[in-house]
Amino acid sequence: MTRPGRIAAALFSSALIVVIACGGRADERAEPSSPAPFEATGIITFGSVSLNPASEHEVFRPFVDHVASRLREVGIGRGRVVVVDSISKMVEELNEGRIDVYIDSPFPVGFVWKRTEIDLLLRRWKRGSETYRSVVFVRADSGVNSVADLAGKMIAFGEPFSTSGFLMPKAALASTGLMLDNYEDAAASIPPDRVGYVFSNDAENTMFWVLKGKVDAGAVNEDYYQALAGSRVSELKIILTTEAVPRNLVCVRRSLDPRVTDALKDLLLGMDEDEEGQGVLKGFEETARFDPWPGGPERQLAGIMDLIQYVEEDVGQ
Amino acid sequence: MRIGLRGRFIAFVSAIVIAFGVVLTALAVRVQNDLLRHELDERGKLLIAVVATHVTDSLALLDVRQLRQLINETREQENVLDAVVFDEDGRVLTDGTIKNPLRHLLIDDAARQHVAVSDALLVEFSGDVMTVTKGVRLGGRLIGGVRLRYSRAGLAKDQAVLARKTALVGIVFGVLGVLAAALLTEAVTRPLKEVIDATRAISEGKQAPHLQVRTADEVGELAAAFNEMTRRLRETTVSRDYVDRVLETMGECLVVTRRNGTITLVNNAVCGLAGASEEELVGRHCGELFRAPKGYASLLHALNPEGSVHGLETELLSSTGEEFPVMVSIAEMDESPGRSGRYVIVAADISERLRTERQKEEFITMIHHEVRTPLTAVRGAIGLLDGGVAGDLGERGRELVANALRNSKRMERLVNDILVSRKLDFGHMTFHLEEMELMPLVDQAIEATASYGDQHEVRFDLDETAPGARIEVDPDRFIQVLTNVLSNAVRFSSAGDVVKVRVNRHDGYLRVAVADRGPGIPEKFRDQVFEPFARADEADWRNKSGTGLGMSISKAIIEELGGAISFDTEVGGGTTFRVDIPESDKLRESHVD
Repeated sequence: MTRPGRIAAALFSSALIVVIACGGRADERAEPSSPAPFEATGIITFGSVSLNPASEHEVFRPFVDHVASRLREVGIGRGRVVVVDSISKMVEELNEGRIDVYIDSPFPVGFVWKRTEIDLLLRRWKRGSETYRSVVFVRADSGVNSVADLAGKMIAFGEPFSTSGFLMPKAALASTGLMLDNYEDAAASIPPDRVGYVFSNDAENTMFWVLKGKVDAGAVNEDYYQALAGSRVSELKIILTTEAVPRNLVCVRRSLDPRVTDALKDLLLGMDEDEEGQGVLKGFEETARFDPWPGGPERQLAGIMDLIQYVEEDVGQ
Repeated sequence: MRIGLRGRFIAFVSAIVIAFGVVLTALAVRVQNDLLRHELDERGKLLIAVVATHVTDSLALLDVRQLRQLINETREQENVLDAVVFDEDGRVLTDGTIKNPLRHLLIDDAARQHVAVSDALLVEFSGDVMTVTKGVRLGGRLIGGVRLRYSRAGLAKDQAVLARKTALVGIVFGVLGVLAAALLTEAVTRPLKEVIDATRAISEGKQAPHLQVRTADEVGELAAAFNEMTRRLRETTVSRDYVDRVLETMGECLVVTRRNGTITLVNNAVCGLAGASEEELVGRHCGELFRAPKGYASLLHALNPEGSVHGLETELLSSTGEEFPVMVSIAEMDESPGRSGRYVIVAADISERLRTERQKEEFITMIHHEVRTPLTAVRGAIGLLDGGVAGDLGERGRELVANALRNSKRMERLVNDILVSRKLDFGHMTFHLEEMELMPLVDQAIEATASYGDQHEVRFDLDETAPGARIEVDPDRFIQVLTNVLSNAVRFSSAGDVVKVRVNRHDGYLRVAVADRGPGIPEKFRDQVFEPFARADEADWRNKSGTGLGMSISKAIIEELGGAISFDTEVGGGTTFRVDIPESDKLRESHVD
């Protein structure tokens, strides 16, 4: 097992669950079968995956409070944020009904969607964009002209949980038939029929590592590529651009009261229409708006589900 | 506004202290600024050295994320404007921000060349900005570097804080300086104030305190000089209290006036006599208090050219309308330069004296009318009896009449002497002056007394004369004087004695000397010889004395004639009386010619 793998295993074993309630008792839950009218005593619980639960909570808290305060008509009195440290834990929490709403990138969502009863509700325009893509790039003078030339080379990805920095480019490369192995040392020797990869843990690291020749290739969010390359963009060459995927997705537990689900959907769709809602969205990782899935959620998710098979093990960690 | 010595001294010392404080503060600020600047520079250099150490591992691993975090923390350090980490080529890896706008830019050539060859800090100054660059090496190989721009403008804030603190210290020292100046001034001026207070006490007539001589400097000398001055002043002057006590207790009236006669001071005696208070009298003119003496328009018009007058009789006018006879003496009192002179008027109440004199006058009148006139009648009747008008009285009757006649004559002489004496006292005696030769008058006197000498078996011997000497006298009164002196000599001579009479010139006077060989005048009585009714205690003298008025009358007469009477005496050796009378000038001058 590689070093990141051991760390991930340790984290999984600890199965840290951080529950930060916005007031009220943890066992208070919205009863899905409660007759109307709903008493404003219920709690709606938002879930997220992060190894930094405190900062994650700070990101979600204003948004969740705002949402909860506008769901009184369906019996919601308070909102709660549950941060878990792994996708598997998220699946468990959703299956147990302890998390009502789950917001994440397409690959984690696809992983969860396959393993529990959730419905894809809306698309989230995180950081102002509705979709994003990844690029795989090399030095222009590296002699690598296509992804096939990456055999026997070392590529740098960003963070292990990053969709654009790791999961999406790795899946795209793997879908071409390349076999990728994780290394800790960027200078490790790679067999000619394999592609080695290391985590730089930062897109800027990835860019410099490629520019300085520490690795042969790198993968970053297409949105950041130009800025990171800056004046040295001419020294680089993109050899792969992935398909665009939704930037972020909002899912709800299927067993959640439909009235709550509908009320939540209506609320999120109209949140960017008033000034207070815009302010809350801006504080929520500069979310521009929420909108429905063009063509329906299943269609959009189908492409992701095709790729996720290549990184299912990585997502599950 | 007048600023006293104390104020000027405080201001002077305070100004010096404050000026010193300002200069010191300015120097302190400058030194502190230099120290601050130096410290700031050193802090910047130290900071980049620390940062360089911390970024080494991340540079080696090309961990830009970690470098971004380190530089970001560095940027948060005080006075750091910005900081970058660059690679071995001099390209910026991160400036500590996510956006990292300096990414890939090359640092300047000088810095690149410096870090390529040197481990030392490259320090560059541009205005208030200090740029420090340090290369980072690993195993001797350059792997990059750190460049930090450090603001020395932040120094201004530190300088402001420093200036405030220094100014506060300056103010504190300024206040302390002023307090010290005040204390110093107090120490210096206190002796002066003591001198001033003591001087003021003297001016107010109080007793001057003895000043303590605390120091040996000029102030100490001043205190010592003041003490010496007051000591001498006490020796040469009397206090005002003392003068006031004297004035208030003296029986005579004392009035002080200005030259124009305005009263400025009166004593109790004046107030008592005038029946007015001091407040009522001060400010009035002395003419309202004293009647103008006879022959003068006012009291002050009686002053002689020297500005004084003595023994002037006038009246003091009381507020009740009474008039008190007073004898006035006036003297001019010199004042200090610049002040007008004053007159001191001393008036003695002579009411009692005048009343006594009036009583004496009435007594003499009574003697004259009630004693002398009947006595003359008695003596005439006895004389007739003695002359046989009433027939033969028999032997026993004749003896009684002779005795009565003798005593009546004696009483008549006594009464006459008393009347003459009083006339002389009051100046009522009339002198009929004539110029005549002296010797005939002497002869007449001897002749008139010869019978009295015969009765006592004493004779006169005129053994020296002044022929032709002339005098201007009332002959009767002059003969009365000589007769008195001659009979006195007879009275104190023994039977058979000779009374020598000599007439000669002496110091411009003609002298008649009458010498007896009697018992001499007792020493205790010599001062009373010319006093009225003077009689010695000795038995011989009491028996031989006359009325006791003869010598006093003789002295008064001869002095009225411009002469003098004196005596030489020796107990047991006799007495010589000398009568000196001025020789007539006209005659003497012709005699000289």
